Order: sequence, then C-alpha cells, then structure tokens
Amino acid sequence: MKDEEIDDVLKETAGGPHVLKAETLQRVSDSIKTSLRPVRPLPPTWVLAGGLVLVCAAVALAGAARAGFYGIGKMDFLERALIFSTLVVSAWVVGIGFVHEMIPGSRRHIAPGALLAIVSGLSVCVFALLFRDYQTSAFFSAGIACLLTGLLFAVPTALLAWLLLRRGFAVNPVSAGLAAGTLAGLAGLGMLELHCQNFQAAHVLVWHVAVVPLSAAAGAFVAWALRLRASSGDRERVTRN
Amino acid sequence: MAHYQQGDFNAAAVLIAQLSPQLHRFFLAQLASRADADDLLQETWLRIHKVRHTYRPGEPVLPWLYAIARRVRVDHYRRSIRTTGRQQAMEDMSEIPATVSAGSGRLDDFSALLAPLSDGEREVIVMLKVEGMSLEEAARATSSTVGSVKQKAHRAYKKLRETMSATRRSGRGTAEDCRER
Repeated sequence: MKDEEIDDVLKETAGGPHVLKAETLQRVSDSIKTSLRPVRPLPPTWVLAGGLVLVCAAVALAGAARAGFYGIGKMDFLERALIFSTLVVSAWVVGIGFVHEMIPGSRRHIAPGALLAIVSGLSVCVFALLFRDYQTSAFFSAGIACLLTGLLFAVPTALLAWLLLRRGFAVNPVSAGLAAGTLAGLAGLGMLELHCQNFQAAHVLVWHVAVVPLSAAAGAFVAWALRLRASSGDRERVTRN
Repeated sequence: MAHYQQGDFNAAAVLIAQLSPQLHRFFLAQLASRADADDLLQETWLRIHKVRHTYRPGEPVLPWLYAIARRVRVDHYRRSIRTTGRQQAMEDMSEIPATVSAGSGRLDDFSALLAPLSDGEREVIVMLKVEGMSLEEAARATSSTVGSVKQKAHRAYKKLRETMSATRRSGRGTAEDCRER
C-alpha cells in the first residue's frame, strides 16, 4: 500500500470540516469575555536570553567578589579567554533553550538533555586541555567544598532566571526545569572558575564540572515536584466539585 | 491574534470560531469522548486566554495553539488517571477501538483508524495530515525537532500500512467466503 493511498484514507475518514455546536462556542467566548483586557507580548528571545546571561554573570561575579577572585588571578591570558568565552557562549545557548522552553510553539533545535550533555562535554574538553596538573591532593575534602559552593550559587541564579521568565508558560515543565538548572549550574561553575585557585585537573574536571549536571538534575526534579503538586491541587478541586 | 492580545473581543470570538473545530477534532482523535473533548476545548481556551501574552506577533499561531492544547490534554490525562486510580482501565480503553476496527474490518471511523498508533504518532498524523500543518509547525507544536516528527510520521505510516493491508486482506477473504457459499 502506497503512502498516497494512506493519505487518501486519512483524509476520507477525517471527513470534511468539523462542525461544533453554537452553544459550545458561545460558552467558550463567554468564559473569556469578563477577563479580556490588553496584554503585553513577551520581549524577543535575544532580549530574554541576554537577560539570563547577565543574571548568570552577576551572580558569579557577586559570589567571587565576596569569596575572592583568586582563580582568575592565577590564570594566564589563554586560560581566561578560553574558559570564560566558553562559559558565556554556553550560557547564551542554554539561555536561548530555556527561553524556548518557556514559550509555547517555539522552535527547538536541541533537546535540553542533549544541551546539558554538550555543555558539560565542552567544559570537560576545555578544562582537560588547559589544566595539566595531575596531582590529587585533598581530592574529596576540597572537591566537596567546591561542589557545594557552586551549587549554592546556582540556587539564586535559578530563582532570578525564573523571576525573569515568570510570564512564560512551560508546556513541558521538566524540560524547562532541566534547562533552568543547566543555566544555574553554569553560573555556579563560573563562580568557581573566578574564585577557586586549585588547578589540579582531577579537581576541576570532577568537582567543578559536576555542578552543571547536578544543578540540572535538581532543576528537573523541582519542576517535576511542582507539576505533581499542581496536578494534585487540580485533582482536589475536581473531587470537591 | 494581535488584536486579541490588545483586548478586542470580536477578534477573540473570530479566533474561537475558526480554531475551535480543529482543536475539538484534535482531542477527539486522541480517543477522547465527545464530552471530554468539549471539556478539553473549554479548558484549552481558558489556558490560551491566561497565557495569550506568550504569543509573539509574526510567529505562526497554530504551533503555539497546539502546544498549549497538548499540555492541557496531558494534564487532563494525568488527572483522570489519578482521580479514577484505574490506569489499567485507561490502557484497556485505548485498545478497544483497535479491536473493534479489526473485528469489523471497516475503517470508517477516524479514531478507530488511528487507534493502533501511540499518542505521539497519532498527534503527529493529525497535525500533518488532517490539520495540514508543515513538519516545522508540527515540530514546534510538539516541542521536538523536525527529524523527530519525521520519524514518528514514518513509524505511524508503517503501522497504518500494516493495519490497512490486514483489513483489506480480511475484507477480500470475507468476500471470497461469500462467493463460495
């Protein structure tokens, strides 16, 4: 059986224009009539993504200003240029992805999960290329401290990012949470690169980079929990009615 | 849509009149009952109204609209599963039309025709073949890539081809039986 024949059967069985009862349409119109007032459309994607990158930069800089710019002070020019340009480009790409998740019907080039993998992989490549000190002194104690610091700064970034995009509507909250968490993780990673002067390859590759996937996982989990809570609220309303 | 965002009720009424039939058919094609489709339609318009500021003039309307409709449908499905607590019953329900279709040997009902398909494949087929959306629009509406939409459509066509060929064969078999008798 050819595709054209299947097309014909589909068109035939779907029938002509679907007709709805006038009262159904009237009921829908009436339901929105009372609250109809002008609204301001969301700004363009680049404005929102730019805002998200600024939020990330502000949180990372504020964190490093408080803790000290020891890491960036110890880096040479090539390290600074490569690391921070990679972080800014990653934040921009993830920011665009997050904006798309918050606007229904947006074009999606890469799924948030794939974006997380690319951003984490890119960071690993850049750090592996630049840091050649393969000692592992105080691997766990220093590493866990860095991981917690990075995650600590991811939290305000995620909250500010949510505040910036609060007028959006996520058709898939878990994907949106994953994108928001990835973005927040990049801010945490940026803060660590500005502050941490431990340039041991293993430390940076494991504990610094881990901030991004852990923050993304936390974002997805929070979004899932919120959706569950919202649907439980709906269920209670339905049961009460 | 831009007039609707500016608070023009007539523009809203025109949009509702023009787009409701296809949204209703979209819900019906997802194996919803007529009453459920009515509820989903009403809920979708309320949701659209609430988030109408997320539409940006110049962008295609249909993907935006269907993306919201999908979310409403998914929420409704989850809620119904939790409310009844009979997930198994829902799965059984989704198999009923396929059984009826195969048994009767007729493909005169659109929902029955699409019943063997998964939710994702079904919605892609409805968007592409019934609503006439492009691959790009369907990808936007389903928050996926064009490649993913193509893959779903391909799988759906494979299943439809198998179902229709089986139906044709059984139809031919029945006709031959009648002639022999």
